[in-house]
This record gives sequence, structure tokens and C-alpha cells, in this order.
Amino acid sequence: MLTFFLIFHNLRKYFYRKPKLENTVLEMSERRIFEHPILDFDRGDEFYFDFEGEKVKAYEGETVASALYADGLRKFTESKKLERPRGFFCAIGKCSSCIMSVDGRPHVRTCVTQAEEGMEVKRHGSKPKFPEVDIGRGKERKEKKIEIAVIGGGPAGLMAAIVSARNGADVHLFDEGDDLGGQLVKQTHQFFGSHEEDAGTRGIEIGKELVEEARDVGVNIHTETKVLGYYEEKKITVEEEGRLTIYDTEGIVYAGGAIENYLSFENNDLPGVYGAGGVQTLMNEEGIVPGDKVLMVGSGNVGVIVSYQLLQAGVDVVEVIEALPEIGGYQVHASKIRRAGVPISTAHTIKKAIGEEKVEGAVVQKIDENWEPVEGTEREVECDVICLAVGLSPDTGFLRQADCEMEYIGELGGYVPLRTEDMMTTRRGIYVAGDAAGIEEATVAALEGKIAGAALFEDLREETEDTRKSKEEAKEGLVPVVLSMRRCADDWGLRPILLNHKKGDLRMSRISILPSSFTKGVNCG
Amino acid sequence: MSEEYDAVIIGGGVNGLGTAYHLGKKGFTDVAVVDKSYLGYGASGRNGGGIRQQWTSEENIKLARESRKMFEDLDEELEEDLEFYQGGYLVLSFDEEEAEEFKENVKLQNRLGVESEFLSPEEAKEIVPELNISDVVAATFNQSDGTIYPFKVIHGYANRVREMGIDVKEHTEVLDIETEGDEIKKVKTDKGEIKTDTVVNAAGGWSSEIAKMAGAEIPNVPVRHEIMVTEPYQRFLEPMVISFSHGIYFSQSEHGNIVGGIGNPDEEPGVNQKGSLWFLKKFSDTLLDFIPRFSGVNMIRQWAGLYDTTPDAQPILGSVPEVERFYQINGFSGHGFMVSPMVDKVTAELILGEEPSIDIERLSVERFEEMDIEEEGGVVG
Repeated sequence: MLTFFLIFHNLRKYFYRKPKLENTVLEMSERRIFEHPILDFDRGDEFYFDFEGEKVKAYEGETVASALYADGLRKFTESKKLERPRGFFCAIGKCSSCIMSVDGRPHVRTCVTQAEEGMEVKRHGSKPKFPEVDIGRGKERKEKKIEIAVIGGGPAGLMAAIVSARNGADVHLFDEGDDLGGQLVKQTHQFFGSHEEDAGTRGIEIGKELVEEARDVGVNIHTETKVLGYYEEKKITVEEEGRLTIYDTEGIVYAGGAIENYLSFENNDLPGVYGAGGVQTLMNEEGIVPGDKVLMVGSGNVGVIVSYQLLQAGVDVVEVIEALPEIGGYQVHASKIRRAGVPISTAHTIKKAIGEEKVEGAVVQKIDENWEPVEGTEREVECDVICLAVGLSPDTGFLRQADCEMEYIGELGGYVPLRTEDMMTTRRGIYVAGDAAGIEEATVAALEGKIAGAALFEDLREETEDTRKSKEEAKEGLVPVVLSMRRCADDWGLRPILLNHKKGDLRMSRISILPSSFTKGVNCG
Repeated sequence: MSEEYDAVIIGGGVNGLGTAYHLGKKGFTDVAVVDKSYLGYGASGRNGGGIRQQWTSEENIKLARESRKMFEDLDEELEEDLEFYQGGYLVLSFDEEEAEEFKENVKLQNRLGVESEFLSPEEAKEIVPELNISDVVAATFNQSDGTIYPFKVIHGYANRVREMGIDVKEHTEVLDIETEGDEIKKVKTDKGEIKTDTVVNAAGGWSSEIAKMAGAEIPNVPVRHEIMVTEPYQRFLEPMVISFSHGIYFSQSEHGNIVGGIGNPDEEPGVNQKGSLWFLKKFSDTLLDFIPRFSGVNMIRQWAGLYDTTPDAQPILGSVPEVERFYQINGFSGHGFMVSPMVDKVTAELILGEEPSIDIERLSVERFEEMDIEEEGGVVG
């Protein structure tokens, strides 16, 4: 039996192996990437855990969901009403379509849970049995007083935590994942722009440096922790090691990032329809390819960059479709995938996904200038992954709970909090930075974090040489654009929503820039 | 924008929409239902969905009994699966004195056709095997009680009344009610004026404000009550479990989630719909006392709604002395959903000048002047 398995194993390898770029070696039977032109997957020790009676291989540092995906599992749970299959999707603990029972505890989000040797993992559909035994926590919970809570460990949160901690604040940084760095750690491409510290550096490297710096300046880092809610007087509830802790804070920087947008089409819930962020996590963080043939939906920067990353990982990108009449992303990225032979079809949309238990293909269709599908232009695309790169929305639930005033700004991806130039929301002591303040990109997020961390420190303690300089430097790298003006809500003065652009950003011309006096609090006597 | 309707119903909750439905069934469809937010923004979209007939006053028992019967047929009427699950209500008592009252309650309920039973703690445990009965003295149980999914009821009504030609206007806030002498002339909203001579005040926690606009006075006071929902599990809990002394209630929905709340005796009156840490701690600790195995279960959301409370915890129905054709259907003090079918029907009958199906004379606002008050003791949450 074992011999047969090994032969089959090897045959599959030869049969499926189709490296697109040099230096990429895929072990397709288990879908892990072992060699990659840019990334070095520093896998820990190999071990096994139990999945429904079968042994599944994992490497130290992998999540349960990733190891199962690498092993070929596609259906993770079921939808609640119609019991349709649900699979891997967001990979960052936001969508709950990967919940399973782990060591007897049901409803565990396996994409943010580290695999451990000997773990027992089981699927339970949407409704598990009520726990047979008391696996709970009793009534035990902790209450702690801290000075600053930074929520989210991406570039915005890390920068905010670094600046306030290096000035001497007691800073606690909370992140759901096992690794910090947010979406930066998935970015294999080089950043460009005027900011010298980032230009030419790959996202993964920037991310690692920030994490190191945060540790050096004494930020208290809490990974695999969930911030659950905001309560009166800046108290937050946090789930940590399976227990509830209530943190009584003096100030908060919320840097919770964004949620990927979804698209409506028939069968859009089949396993195999993934968000671009989920694909990046799986591929660039965990070193696992999502499938063999990918249809990319969306040709914005994320769509074209992730397509290129897929090619780097040795995956066939069969086509990129774009609803707009032109490619949305930078030409430099689009050209790279075109050179690799990937067709980009503009004025196209996806009509449906084909498959019963998982994606086995897709039907795409032309759309006319009024965004109406053109009858008779439907054609089938052979693919096992449909990757959605159709934008992001700010993840602002926490800020709503805190009663921060919100406004809908299309350019920023949806509802965003009203805030000052110093990133303070309409709630004193609650600051925001990064994508949660409006969809931008990593450099802007880091600069906003720097401002928020410095401003909150000044708010709670005093202005220092470092906070003043941090704010100044960060603001030099940004061009604030006033998009909305509200009358003074309280004695805190004007709350413009500012769209921060990186200096030199190509899209600047699309938005009219108001004179800077507008940002200084006119009409607030 | 100026419009005209035979009647304007203020409040897009279960009682506003239910009254519209009963009016519509009788062919009275020149009606507008207005709500300042979305349908079910108030208590109708924030409650635990309990349908209970185990009450302590004759009025409430009758109303609840008739309403339960109507709920049993409502799926068919509204062409909607309302998820009415008759797993019963298990009412727990923790002291001898209360247990004696329970015996009396059961007698009264039985006399009025509600088949409740008086149970020992062991019998209660047979119904809910996970229950910690160490401090339980006695219990009552009534199988035909249960839970329903409130949003489906609201939207079921809304869909049907729209089909009948009744206008349901969301995000339309009433700013004033114009009267001349004791007659209603207009309802002024943020979207324009509506001419009408008949107004139904089904505004829940905002009923007092609405009454004031028409120059009438009702004693209602809004008080926040909090509630939560857990992750879903396969059904293991049949009945709704409640305790008056602990102020707690919890049940399992058709979707598998545990839904429950607990009252705060020190809650300050006022419009406040935020979740509190007090509730988070108090509810989870109390729930664990009732069913220790819940300690492995995660709460996924908490929220709050308003009880529109009256001095005797009983609703205010019918007309008011100050203004003609200004009908009250409010003050439900936390149990407006479970009695809604019958009170909605009766309110429609009153508006049309018909003989009401149930005598509701004693639930008129005038009872507070005459001091003829019998307080309902069976309020929970």
C-alpha cells in the first residue's frame, strides 16, 4: 500500500509539475512550495496531527487550515441553512468559513490557529454538538489597567506602537494572527515611491524590521489574541489563551485593517473562490499554492501583483478579467504578467463558478459600456481557483462600537471614521491608522501609524522632541486631501476626513486638493 | 411632499406592522406605517423571541393564550417559515415563597385554558438535563410556549401589508403631530407632511415622546435591557429557561444559537441601546450557575433594546382622553412580541369601530388615574 502510494505520489509530481518561472519547485501532491525565486520558507520541524482519524503532516509555524489545505482538503465547514460546502477563504480570521473542532473545542477558526503535534481536528459543519464535557474556562477572567492599546499588528499598528513605546508609554499591541506585520509580510514585490526608507524594499522585509523594532523598544506584543469589543470609558475585551481579559486603557490606536470585498455571481460560495489576500497568505506566508489554474478577477494593483506572485510560485494564471474597459493597476505590474503570457480581458465579468463541492471552472462574459452583460459572449474558463481581487473595505466595527462618527467616502472604500490630521477620531483618546481609516497602501499606513502613536502619546503625556519630529516627518511623506467637512461636533474642533496620499502617487490627479487652510479648523470658533 | 392617509401607524415594529396587517385584512388599506429607522430597529428586532402564556394576571394570560393560538397559524397566513418552536417555557423558582405563588399561578393559568404544570427540581432536570438544580426549589412548565424568530415575523407582516397596498415608510421620522382642538390633522415627518385624522402610537421605547407630540400623556418610561447570542450548536435545549428572581432568560434558536438576557435592577431609565460590561459579566456568570457546561461556549454578539415600561408592567391599549382617534399600542414592558397577534387584532377593531375580540377596557391609559392597578409579576430580563 505504501509503495503504491509513493509511486502515485511521484507520478503526480511529474504529471502536474509545470513551473512557470525558474527556481520554483513545487511538491504538488501536497502543494507546498519548497523553492521560490524570492521567498525562503523557513519551515520548522515536521510533525503530524490527527484529522478525522487520518494523520496529516504539518510543519512548525503552519496553521491548521494551511496544513489541511496542503493535504488537499477543500471543504472545511458548511453553510448554516443550506449546508453548502464552505472552504478556506480569507485566511486571516475574519470570515469564519474554516471553523472546525480542535481538541474537542468547537468553532475554532483554523486559519489563525497554529497546528500542534497530536492535535485532534474534526469538521462539524455549521452546528457542532454541544460539548460533551466541560471544556470551558469557568468564570475566571482577568482585568488589567494599561496605558495604550494598539489594535492590529500591521504596518500602521506597529508604527504607532513603536513611536509611543520608545517615548516611554506602556504599550500593548494586539493581533489575531500568529505573526505580526499584517499584509506586509505577504508582499514579495518591491515598494516604490519617494520615501527613501521603503523604496526598493520588499514588503516582507519591511514587516520583519518593524516587528523587530517593536520588540526592541519594549512593546508588549500579544499575538493570537482577539479584541472582541469596545466598552464605555476605553475598556476593551480581549480573548487571550482561551480566556477573557478586560483591559482598562487610557488611549487606543485602532489599526484593524480592511476586509476583502466579495462579488455576486452564481456559486460564488464554492471552495476555490478565494480573496486575493487569502491567496497571498497561503502562498507567501505559508508557502502553499492555492491550486493549479487560477482565474483572477480584477486587474487593480492587487489583482496584477497577486497574479505575478502566483506565477512566481509556479501556478498557472489562466486569465485575468477586469470589468472596467482598461486595466486598473500600474502598467509596470500588468506588463510583467502579460510578458509571462497571461491574457488580460477587459470589459469582462464572471457569470458563475462551475462545480459541486469545489471550483472546477468558471463562466465569464463580456459587459457593455452600461455594465450590462452581453448575451452570447459567455465562455467557459478551465480553472480550479477563482481569485477575487475586487477591492477592500475598511474594517471599522470596533470604531462604530466606540461611537466614533463615520461617513461614507467611496474613494476610501466605504464607511470611514471622521478624524483629524493627527488621526484622532471624534472620540478623544481613540486614534485610527492604516486601512481602517480608509483604503490606501502600506507606506501610508505606516506613516499614519507614526502620526497616531506620536499624537496619542502627546495627548496622554506631553510633546517630546521625538513625537514632534515623528509627526513632522510622517506628514512630509503624505499629502492630506480633505474629502468631507463636518461642523464641530464638540470642543475638539474640526473633523475633516483626510485621504492621505503618498507623495508622488499617480492617482493624486483624480482628486481635487483643497488648500491646507481647510485642514486647520476654519469655522470652529 | 404632502400626502394623505386614512391612518398613520408610527412604529415599524411587530405591533405597528401587525395592526396594519389586521386593518388590511379588513380592507382598510389607505394606511401608512412610518419608522424613523429600519423595520425592527426597536425592541421588535432586539428581543429574545419568547412566546409565553405563563403569566400572573388574567388579562395577560388571556392575551398570551389567544396570541399563541394565532402564532400557530401565522406561518400559513404570512407565507413564511417563522421558526415558531414550541419547546415550552421552564420557569424556575429558587425560594419557597415564590414556589407557593407558582402553585397559584398554575391554578389560574389552568383555569384559563393554559396547560402549565407545577414541577419538582428533578422533573425540571428531565426537561433540561444540563441544568444545575442544586438551588432550585420548584418549577413550572408549559409545553405550548416557545420561541419565534422576530425578524421573520416583522418582515412577513411587512411583505403582506405591502401586497395589500399599505405603504411602509422606513427612515421616516415623526417630528410632530398637529391637532386642532381634540382632532388630529397632520403628522409631520422629516420627509414631509401626512394628512390624517387617525394615528396609532406603536413607537415602543419612544411612545411617550410621540404621545407628547399629540398633546397626550402616557406614563411610559424606556429602560435598557441587554441580550446576547452564542455560537450555534445542534439542538440540546428544548425550552426557554427563565427565572424571575435572577432576571435571566435563555433559549436555543432554530439556528442553534443560545439567545438570552438578564435584567439590571439598577438600570437608569432612558434611551440607551449600547452593550455594557456589566451585562457581559453578569449574564455569563449567571448562565454558568444555571448550566455549568456553557463555559465552553463563546458569546458572539451582545446588544440592547428598550423595554417601554409602565407603572404596572402592563401595556397601554386603546384611545386617550385628550385626543380623538389617537390609539395607543405600547407600554408592553418587555412582552410586546408575545401578545402582539391579539392586541394588533383588537387595535384594528377599535380603529374600525368594531366590537373588540377581547375586552381591553382595563388596559386603557385611564387606569392610572383611577388607581385601579394590578401589577404583572411575571416580568423577566
